[in-house]
Amino acid sequence: MMRMRSLEPLTWILLTGVSSGSRLSYNMAARVLQQCVRSLARPSLRLCPVSAALRAAVAPAVGVHRPVSFAADSRRTRWLGQSRISSVGVLCRQYGDLPPLTLETIKDRVMYVLKLYDKINPEKLQETSHFMKDLGLDSLDQVEIIMAMEDEFGFEIPDAEAEKLMSPEEIVQYIADKKDVYE
Amino acid sequence: MMAASSRSQVISLYKAMVKASSRFPSYNYRTYALRRVRDAFRANGKVEDPRAVEKLLEEGQQMLALIQRQVSIGQMYGAQRTVVE
Repeated sequence: MMRMRSLEPLTWILLTGVSSGSRLSYNMAARVLQQCVRSLARPSLRLCPVSAALRAAVAPAVGVHRPVSFAADSRRTRWLGQSRISSVGVLCRQYGDLPPLTLETIKDRVMYVLKLYDKINPEKLQETSHFMKDLGLDSLDQVEIIMAMEDEFGFEIPDAEAEKLMSPEEIVQYIADKKDVYE
Repeated sequence: MMAASSRSQVISLYKAMVKASSRFPSYNYRTYALRRVRDAFRANGKVEDPRAVEKLLEEGQQMLALIQRQVSIGQMYGAQRTVVE
């Protein structure tokens, strides 16, 4: 959604460029499109809702000036056609990786998972709150929370260590230790 | 408070059963099994007698095996997904 919103001014520029039809605006449109493609060539590309209308509007404008019109390409060729993309100086090699973990992102994800757990009152939840003393959960709920964390972060937490994790901050600390995340 | 060993046994059994139950391919079986496991552990949470705990653990192990069998059978015979899925 954010990306979509950030595209809107570009759309406007491109469309005005098309309507005025001068060579200058074709140049401008091409440059803007280049940036646009660059910003698109990031991992969230597949989720990015570039409207078909934008692509259709852009394609002829660039097609005149540059023979390579990537916007008109299908997504598949954009991924496979490395040479096309490198022709605008974008070397994109995509690894299926998440953004790097930091203490902050771990904390956010832990708190997000906890807020979604139906027996926890999100208003009462704090980083330091003890699951049993402050939030009134029992040991089975705690096991469920640990399992949710395993699902979220994709690794197993052994029982012996899981039973010591009694507050969000302890979970964050444990995950940071396991994933080698430091300040 | 029950003995530490049986406590950790119960916890790991609970974990194993929840994990196995959530692998049911069919929505109906999956939600039923999860609810059944959770309710059963809550219902017997106050049992103190070591012999009763022992017996319940035994039963739980059998149920775990049953769930695992049914999950693999369910995976062999995939059915059409229901609307809620």
